[in-house]
Amino acid sequence: MDELIYALKEQIIDALNLEEMTPDEIENDAPLFGNGLGLDSIDALELIVLLEKHYGIKLASPAEGKSIFKSVSTIAEYVEKNRKK
Amino acid sequence: MITVLATNITSPLGMTTEQNYQMLKSGRSALKRYEGWCGVPEAFTASLFTDEQREALAVEGCSRFESLVVRSVREALTHAEVDVTDERTVFILSTTKGNVEMLPAEGSEGYLHPGETAAKIACQLGFTTQPITVCNACISGVSAQLLAHRLISEGRYDRAVVCGADCQSAFIVSGFVSFKALSPDECRPFDIERIGLNLGEAASTIILARTSVAAEGKREWQLVRGCTNNDAYHISAPSPQGDGTYAAIMATLHEGDRERLATVSVHGTATMFNDQMESKALQRAGLSEVPLSALKGYYGHTMGAAGVLESIITMRALDDGLILPSRGFEEIGVSGKVTISNQMQTTGKQSFLKIISGFGGCNGALLFTRTEGEGNEAPATPQTVLLAQTHSVRITPSALEIDGQPMETSAEGKALLTEIYKSRIGGYPKYYKMDMLSRLVFVATELLLQQEGKAPGNGQAEDGQVESGQAEEAVDRAVILFNRTSSIVADRQHQQTISDAEGFFPSPSVFVYTLPNIVTGEIAIKHGYKAETSLYILDHKDNHIMDSVVEASLLQSDTQSVLTGWVDCEDENKFEAEIRIITKNI
Repeated sequence: MDELIYALKEQIIDALNLEEMTPDEIENDAPLFGNGLGLDSIDALELIVLLEKHYGIKLASPAEGKSIFKSVSTIAEYVEKNRKK
Repeated sequence: MITVLATNITSPLGMTTEQNYQMLKSGRSALKRYEGWCGVPEAFTASLFTDEQREALAVEGCSRFESLVVRSVREALTHAEVDVTDERTVFILSTTKGNVEMLPAEGSEGYLHPGETAAKIACQLGFTTQPITVCNACISGVSAQLLAHRLISEGRYDRAVVCGADCQSAFIVSGFVSFKALSPDECRPFDIERIGLNLGEAASTIILARTSVAAEGKREWQLVRGCTNNDAYHISAPSPQGDGTYAAIMATLHEGDRERLATVSVHGTATMFNDQMESKALQRAGLSEVPLSALKGYYGHTMGAAGVLESIITMRALDDGLILPSRGFEEIGVSGKVTISNQMQTTGKQSFLKIISGFGGCNGALLFTRTEGEGNEAPATPQTVLLAQTHSVRITPSALEIDGQPMETSAEGKALLTEIYKSRIGGYPKYYKMDMLSRLVFVATELLLQQEGKAPGNGQAEDGQVESGQAEEAVDRAVILFNRTSSIVADRQHQQTISDAEGFFPSPSVFVYTLPNIVTGEIAIKHGYKAETSLYILDHKDNHIMDSVVEASLLQSDTQSVLTGWVDCEDENKFEAEIRIITKNI
């Protein structure tokens, strides 16, 4: 799980161009949207692409992503259960 | 007021305005479901030309997009006596992506950017003046008509041939797929069950002139006035209360106009956010009782054509005393109070409002009215306000100049922009999310505003927030930019994400920047600018045309100042930004 979490953080930094951040600066349970990393609606869509590209998981709509994209931990849990690759 | 001389709609439903109107009147649509189209894995519904229609439209020596424009303009010209070779006639093209389906995988040999495409078409049609291409995402068709109105009102030209067009391709469809914006079924504007938009292809031409041609007592359509602005909210989401659309409507409607409105031709894309936002704006503007015309259920979203096409259909229906049914609508699904119906309605009123919104935060409104032609000429109303330039910034891959003074820099190309950002700006992580064109204009703008003494320098704006005093002061500043290569760097990047069937992962954060006007939205958001934001594409840096466009905008609107200039970014090592601030009333 720790490995997956670290990989996810790297993938998120890369996909969302969080240039000035390192994986260690993202807390596992900190909110990604709102006050956390301050991500927006395009970032949410980009996270959907990330899940499909790296883990073969297809989400139909951003609404589905809402509970999944709460924090890096919640994404990792979802990926663990649903990954196809 | 500017007179409508002639129109054309070339769409999968017909090759003339009349054919199109008759099809709509009988309830027809060309929307069709496509599966596995051009390598796009997701099923979607769209209004596309058939192979037979494509063949019939083809013009020798022209691409599919160019042929479509040539056909539409030629047909419109058969309805009006307009000398296109006259130096008082201008050709204005409205498109979001022009020839993009022909973008080669590598190099750009033989590829025509939108301004070059416009020049080729203008030449083919016999125009002798420099054409202007408007590239303001979804509102382009309204922007283009407003530009024509302003240039004619300023006395720069007597006639304008405005054509809006776009062709659909895997490039565009995949981008909308990545935004999860497409409905697999026919779209349902303003409906509770709406889940997204349909795309469409069409060309649509409107010929506008200073001179009224109607015989005495005969009525003709006139473009009264209009407004475009930015809501400075987000590059791909509208302000939830419809602030931009509301402001555009309020600036466009004067006293007495509301009572004369037969209908409001809405954007009505059938996305959750757009229709909801429009309903809020319409209610706030006191238009809850005016019946809406939502036409996307017939044509889908025809992008660069939409603002022109939907204006023309609404005019033609009102000629018949009709408001067309909003096809696809059944049950209201927006919280702002509006009047919308899927039934044909009759009206005796003779005016309508066209509203539209697009990515990059832009919004627009136009007021059309049908009046008795007086057979005489509307005088040009050139304004005599003095304009003054304040500061300037120039950036090339190896140099930075502020107010004409060379600055010391060490990096080159793309790295130079990041060097400037880090050493002189900072505090705005969004910089790293921007495409090359936006980065270029962003750093140039920040330096320009530092000169103006308003933008906080490095270290003073740690949270990237705009100081409130500054935002208030800047509300009436426009951003009007020009270039040649549109959004070519982002275009290539997006194309790479869809070039391989195994690795088909279109990225929304890349695709959004393939709309070159996003850069104007980035500037508006950062600084709270809520006046016009426009991106024009020319085939070369033509200072005379650039000055004409900027002056017409400044003088024919309430805008007090404009941030403007040439901002071209062909690749990471070939770019140029030369921007300045021009103010009036100094």
